[in-house]
Amino acid sequence: MFLKDAKIQKTYIVIKMDLPFDLLRRLEALGMTKGAKIEVVYRKGKGILIIKLRGTRFALGKNITSGIEVKEASDE
Amino acid sequence: MSDLTIGFIGNPNSGKTTLFNAFTGANLKVANWPGVTVEKVEGSMKWQGMDIHLVDLPGTYSLTSYTMEETVARNFILSDEVDVMINVIDAGALERGLYLTLQLLELNKPVIIALNMMDIVEKRGMEIDMHRFPEMLGVPVIPVSARKRRGLDILIHAAYHHKDNERDPIIHEHKTISKHIHDHHEEYAMVYSDKIEDKIDEVIEALRVRYPDIKNLRWTAIKELEDDPDIRSHYPLDLPSVLDRSYESDIINEKYDFIDEVIEEVMIHKERQDIFTERVDKILTNKYLGIPIFLCIMAIVFFLTFTVGDFIKAYLELGIDHLSDLITSLLVAVDAGAVVTSLVIDGIVAGVGTIITFLPNILILFVCLALLEDSGYMARVAYIMEGVMSKLGLSGKAFIPMLLGFGCTVPAIMASRSLEDRRDRLKVMLVTPFMSCNARLTIYILFAEMFFKDKAMITAYSMYLIGILVAIIVSFIIHVLDRKKTKNYLLIELPEYKMPDMHTVAIYVFEKVKDYLEKAGTTIFLATIIIWFILNFGFGGLVSDMSESFGADIGKLLVPIFTPIGLGFWQVVVALIAGISAKEVVVSSMAILFGVVNASSDAGMEMFTESLSMIGFGAINAFALMVFCLLYVPCAATLATIYKESGSLRYTVICAIFELFVAWIVTFIIYQIGMLI
Repeated sequence: MFLKDAKIQKTYIVIKMDLPFDLLRRLEALGMTKGAKIEVVYRKGKGILIIKLRGTRFALGKNITSGIEVKEASDE
Repeated sequence: MSDLTIGFIGNPNSGKTTLFNAFTGANLKVANWPGVTVEKVEGSMKWQGMDIHLVDLPGTYSLTSYTMEETVARNFILSDEVDVMINVIDAGALERGLYLTLQLLELNKPVIIALNMMDIVEKRGMEIDMHRFPEMLGVPVIPVSARKRRGLDILIHAAYHHKDNERDPIIHEHKTISKHIHDHHEEYAMVYSDKIEDKIDEVIEALRVRYPDIKNLRWTAIKELEDDPDIRSHYPLDLPSVLDRSYESDIINEKYDFIDEVIEEVMIHKERQDIFTERVDKILTNKYLGIPIFLCIMAIVFFLTFTVGDFIKAYLELGIDHLSDLITSLLVAVDAGAVVTSLVIDGIVAGVGTIITFLPNILILFVCLALLEDSGYMARVAYIMEGVMSKLGLSGKAFIPMLLGFGCTVPAIMASRSLEDRRDRLKVMLVTPFMSCNARLTIYILFAEMFFKDKAMITAYSMYLIGILVAIIVSFIIHVLDRKKTKNYLLIELPEYKMPDMHTVAIYVFEKVKDYLEKAGTTIFLATIIIWFILNFGFGGLVSDMSESFGADIGKLLVPIFTPIGLGFWQVVVALIAGISAKEVVVSSMAILFGVVNASSDAGMEMFTESLSMIGFGAINAFALMVFCLLYVPCAATLATIYKESGSLRYTVICAIFELFVAWIVTFIIYQIGMLI
């Protein structure tokens, strides 16, 4: 599944990211790497999310969340 | 020459600037780093008889070479210019802060950690083991509170004593014992897995042979493994077996693993971290309430700007009146003559004085914007507006420069730097001038109060809404016409909410007010003299009737163009042309044109309204004037900034012409509809 479909208050694990190179680098520098845990705090619209990543809150637009493939953390 | 140079580095929102300001006060020098449009802030202070030079580096999360900010920070740290780095970490966001710290430690420069906002952390019931923390990192950690100015002396003291000392002893107690042939745990805080360490060793060997001059081999080797473009091009290596792919993700993950280890050991009651922020965000970023709350907040801001601002303004007007009287009697006493008296009283005092009386309104608006920014709310606006903005082909982040445009367009255009995509930036630069700045506020205050009396506030508020609406429509049309359809990516940190720091707000507002007064003293001063000249002189020299002046000739020539939009009065046309130098000049020029001293006082307004109605200028014309002023060519300072930021004269000219065109069309529609009603 993609992060854009994630539910509030659930935790997900990043599997794959399909985003432009520069953006990918920036996300990685913020700790959004393969295997990173993402907690969904709030969401609105078709995938605009507030997430918690490595202790910090970020707002992500739909174009980002639809490029991040995740699985639910409890699936492990 | 200073005795010690200290660089400040930290994440955005770590309180780095507040700490920096606590040391330097308003004693700042703001410029750009050579060759790039990244702000360089420098300051100085005296400490125990020494001159200390402080440099505030751009807020950053990492030290890669992918963005200008990071490259600037990295090159500065690697240079010999700096003696010691102070790494500011928000104690409430330790995890994020430490990621930068670990990269900083690898650069092998003396580092001191300033653990900021300790007071807030303790208030929440969290504790940090200040004994174990420095042990694990090998550098001093000083708890400080930039807001309360606590721990500042100790911090400088530590920086001074640590400047020649690269590392304190590191005491690791890892759960697993490294089987690596080189146990680096005594040397480095950040030790990677055996697999990565093996690779680092191999790259170091290759670098040592090929580039014997490299000072920091370990850092360079790590960057080679990360496939850092800068390092790869400077120090190319032919090691396909070791550098078979980018190990950046592995390195990042291992760093965060170590950070988890540190946090687990040093942080007590971590779970209490952000309950408050969570509660507040639940309301402020609610998917239904978010936008209405934002609109209410802006309405309160404008309400304060008008009511409280006007209250103080009344006193300033009294002062200007007295000053005007005093100067008049002085000029009479020295027998200065009619021309000089007219220049000083009708030109300078009427023009510059009128502008100064608006200072309280502007001051309040800036205080409000600074409070919103410093409290952490501004970043939420990007999230709240993302839905609407993405329909316009812009990211929610683009709304922040537009919002800052309510203060002043110049810093707003500069703030568009935070947008990564150039096309995005150009688009924001085009529509930001439609957001009504404080200079235009002076026009609304005067004309709304003259012609709309008790509806003055709502009239002025409507200008802001028209501005936003025009910006939205223009963005939407561009988005629809844009064939390349670039995607926008909203990515913004939402800092924890905090009480705004009054010192930071005060410095921010002081800087803006200084700019405003400087503008009143220079650009506007000059413009008033020029306006006075072209209105008092004609082909036959000094004229007694302004309608025979140069200004009147120019104005009358252009009247036909302005008649369909309700502004076909030569006086108005002259004021509008003059207003390109600075929008406030529209007000000061009108004051000069109608010979009104202290135009914003009750008596002044009455006289002004009377003179205007004598030429047939009524409420609809006043509204049309406000709309036109809102939208037409941005002021000279804004145009200069657009040119500087876009680097294109063609684009700047297109912006100016486009905005003039939009202003005419919109005013035409509004005026014609107004005439029908």
